Amino acid sequence: MSLTAWESALSNVLAPGANTAGAQASSPPMDDQAFAGFYERSARSLWAYLARTSGDPALAEDLMQESYVRFLCAPHSPSQLGEGEVPARRYLFRIATNLLRDHWRRPRTASIEEIPEDFFAQTGGSAQADSQMTLGPALKQMRPRERQLLWLAYAEGYSHREIAEVTGLASASIRLLLFRARRKIARLLRDAGNGRKL
Amino acid sequence: MMLRACPREKEVKELVERGQWPVAAATAPELRAHVDGCRSCGDLVLVAMAFQNARAEAVGEAKVGSAGALWWRAQLRLRNAAVERLGRPILGAQIFALAVNLLLVVGLVVWQARHGLTWFAQLPLTASFHLDSGWLDSGWFDSLLSSGWSSLVLIFAAATLALLSGVVVYLAAEKQ
Repeated sequence: MSLTAWESALSNVLAPGANTAGAQASSPPMDDQAFAGFYERSARSLWAYLARTSGDPALAEDLMQESYVRFLCAPHSPSQLGEGEVPARRYLFRIATNLLRDHWRRPRTASIEEIPEDFFAQTGGSAQADSQMTLGPALKQMRPRERQLLWLAYAEGYSHREIAEVTGLASASIRLLLFRARRKIARLLRDAGNGRKL
Repeated sequence: MMLRACPREKEVKELVERGQWPVAAATAPELRAHVDGCRSCGDLVLVAMAFQNARAEAVGEAKVGSAGALWWRAQLRLRNAAVERLGRPILGAQIFALAVNLLLVVGLVVWQARHGLTWFAQLPLTASFHLDSGWLDSGWFDSLLSSGWSSLVLIFAAATLALLSGVVVYLAAEKQ
């Protein structure tokens, strides 16, 4: 195969549907400039979601990077189809949620020596922010799935349908799961003396 | 657990999400009284405010890397995947050619075994018989063709055919 043919084949694979996307896409696929802007607007909230639901900032950083790489590599992602920022953001959170779930499912092999010291400093240090001091212990008592649902609903402001898309759960069950999780964490927050903030 | 949604929950949620809750509570004592008395709305305000504060702090402490590095990492991964995908037809053609060759060899062995390997038995006889009388006028080539050597030619032809078929499969897969 000639070099030109290889280049052509590679560019077709790298930008799938570039010649035929016009029929189904409303805007061109994301280029590096558009991605930089999208990253700037979404990275911090994605990191916050991963860090608070996992309780591990270092893990959150790793998973965030992997989420963006997978987001860019996915052939049918909203970024490739040019569907706009809101679906793209939801898709990104979905990837991150799946990565986090895979991480939790994986058998834990890290020994205590492998965990950096600043991890303990971050989770128990005196410089910790006030909300993290109150919400953190309550979140730790919640199940991972409950943490995700609560964060998506009350920190990100997602609707039940959007949460269903991100988590892969049935839309009908989100309402009940979220209601139970909210009641549980509200009780924990009240027990911790946070109810006065109302 | 009973799932009872308060009719005013949506209104309260919108106020909290817009960051207007404490102010709205001061200007609307009736709503404040409702939230104080309604467990569902009370939970909503407590939880939503806690999460919004936590989000604001977490977003502030987030250390995000360079977008360019992630972009190129993704491009590299895509390129590797593309190269791997383009190499797949070659491997498929090789496997196909190997499988056809193996089938032909097995077929020939079975066929010759059924005929009692007659050409193989004649081979040393033919060679020794014409050894004294020279190459060209000995009729050696004719005897080869008339004897089992034609089977060897058949094997080479079949192997060539198999290789060609592999090339055809490769070209077809590449077009796809």
